[in-house]
Amino acid sequence: MGEKTTTAESQIWAVSVKGLTREYTTRNFFGGVTRTTWALSGIDFQIANGELFGLIGPNGAGKTTTIKILTTLLTPTGGDALILGLNVRKDLYEIRRRIGIVFGGERGLYNRVTAVDNLRYFSDLYGVDPKVAKERIPKLLEIVGLAGREKERVEKYSRGMKQRLHIAKALVHDPELIFLDEPTIGLDPAGARDIRNMVRDLKAQGKTILLTTHYMFEAEELCQRVGVISKGKIVALDTPSELKNMVRDISVIDLRTYGATMDYVEALRAIPDVVRVVADLESEQQSIRIQTPMGADLLPKVVASLPAGAKIIDRTIKEPTLEDAYLRLVEE
Amino acid sequence: MVSMQDLPRGKRVDGYVSQKVQVLRASIFLTRKLFFADPQWVIPNIIAPFIFTLVAFFLFQGETSGSSFLLYLVLGSGLMGMWGTTIYASANSIGFDRWNGTMEATLAAPIPLSWIALGRVLFNTLQGVLNAVFILVIGLAWFRVGFGLVNPGAFFLASVATFLSLSSFGLLMTTILLLSRKGGFITNSMEIPVYIATGTMFPVILLPIVYLPFAFMLAPTWGIEAIRIAALPGYVGLPTTYWQDMVIMVAETLAYLGLAFFLFKRVEAYAKRNGTLEEY
Repeated sequence: MGEKTTTAESQIWAVSVKGLTREYTTRNFFGGVTRTTWALSGIDFQIANGELFGLIGPNGAGKTTTIKILTTLLTPTGGDALILGLNVRKDLYEIRRRIGIVFGGERGLYNRVTAVDNLRYFSDLYGVDPKVAKERIPKLLEIVGLAGREKERVEKYSRGMKQRLHIAKALVHDPELIFLDEPTIGLDPAGARDIRNMVRDLKAQGKTILLTTHYMFEAEELCQRVGVISKGKIVALDTPSELKNMVRDISVIDLRTYGATMDYVEALRAIPDVVRVVADLESEQQSIRIQTPMGADLLPKVVASLPAGAKIIDRTIKEPTLEDAYLRLVEE
Repeated sequence: MVSMQDLPRGKRVDGYVSQKVQVLRASIFLTRKLFFADPQWVIPNIIAPFIFTLVAFFLFQGETSGSSFLLYLVLGSGLMGMWGTTIYASANSIGFDRWNGTMEATLAAPIPLSWIALGRVLFNTLQGVLNAVFILVIGLAWFRVGFGLVNPGAFFLASVATFLSLSSFGLLMTTILLLSRKGGFITNSMEIPVYIATGTMFPVILLPIVYLPFAFMLAPTWGIEAIRIAALPGYVGLPTTYWQDMVIMVAETLAYLGLAFFLFKRVEAYAKRNGTLEEY
């Protein structure tokens, strides 16, 4: 075990990251460097003890790299990171004993054995006293709603059940700090709501939580502070309400349309005073989100641009959300 | 309704030895569960040894002049089965985590990966022992091989030591697979050369002299010699005694273990530096 690096700071901060960098180097057969990619370009942030902190950003922004470094699975190229006052380079095992990790998706479980087998295995790896584990595992399974299904093989579980088992696995050794890496990805709305309720319970228990997510409403709903990461840099870090204040100058028009195409989206983008248009054209009914400082005054132009045969089913004028702030931040 | 507040807390297992024993037990437990969850286990453990033995008997039956030669064959086939199972299962034990998506979760545990791998390798080698026992039973029951051991105590001791030496060699092989997904190719290609170099089917002394240094570096070579000395009356193999074979085997086993633990540490650090842990 490495030497503890407890400082006065660690009394306040569960996570303290300073100038953290990570580069990936691709080498050719002869060992020569062919390409260097910067996944993290010097990020700084702190998470207070007991805080629920969100890290949001587009794919490839550096969220997973950050989590891997903070959970000691990847070595940083530069900078420092302290977890509960311990150094991620030196104090690997002590950090691992005190943190829990929830991986998103299908990773991280042994599917051919039961939920109880998975939890027993991981509780042993984390050094939990077998007597404590024997009491703790059934209760954990009850909390995550898997009681009665605990003796089935995990391969028979739905995605939501697997995700709940992930949470039980992360809690089996009673960690102080929990990393949740996109815990609701791919879940149906009810499953995602259950997971969010569990996250709230954990927060109420005084656990420190770092949550990464693609869902802005989730970050807005759960997190006390949010860091926005883009191209390996933290581009904003504040409370959700303060981040939303960055886009107070705009309103949002949400449209539900039928028959809208990419040409319509381009036509909307060409209207003066339209700041940004985000569209999902995949479904039979399309959803289009228009950011504008004009508010409802823009609607006549929006309707006028509609091509023949297309129609607007529903329209709503809204206050900007965290998603609008996020879009501005990551596109700047 | 249970809430998070009701969860029992605290108490971890203290002490270096207790922690490692707990991890070994957990690793053996999980490997056993995963092994029996996959119905394919009958192929390496029942079908393959049966075929090994059958081929060996049909090859040599007409040439044999007594039951001790048949026992020689049975022991050789058994060790082939043990080695085959060990190399295949151990080399893939950590590789399994790669393609199963559990590599990160395993590595995130507060314990060196080498201890988790050791538990898996121990179970796999034990499974190889059962494989060898099965071959012996086939030999005794079907081919009426006489099982009159020269020194049963020494036979037992040599068998246990050979089991441990195979485990340590399997652990060493595991580090190769951890380093690269191409490691599977290397470890799989070790299977047949080791059959030959350790003398499972014929005395190692018959090998061309250029191969002998490789054969002598393999601890199972000495294990097989010790087992044969303890089992076969009038056995003539290498010019070493039973105890000399045992000492060399133990020394080489310890060297494998030391090297495996050292390599695990280096490989883990390398993989973490390069971000290649979960790639498959």
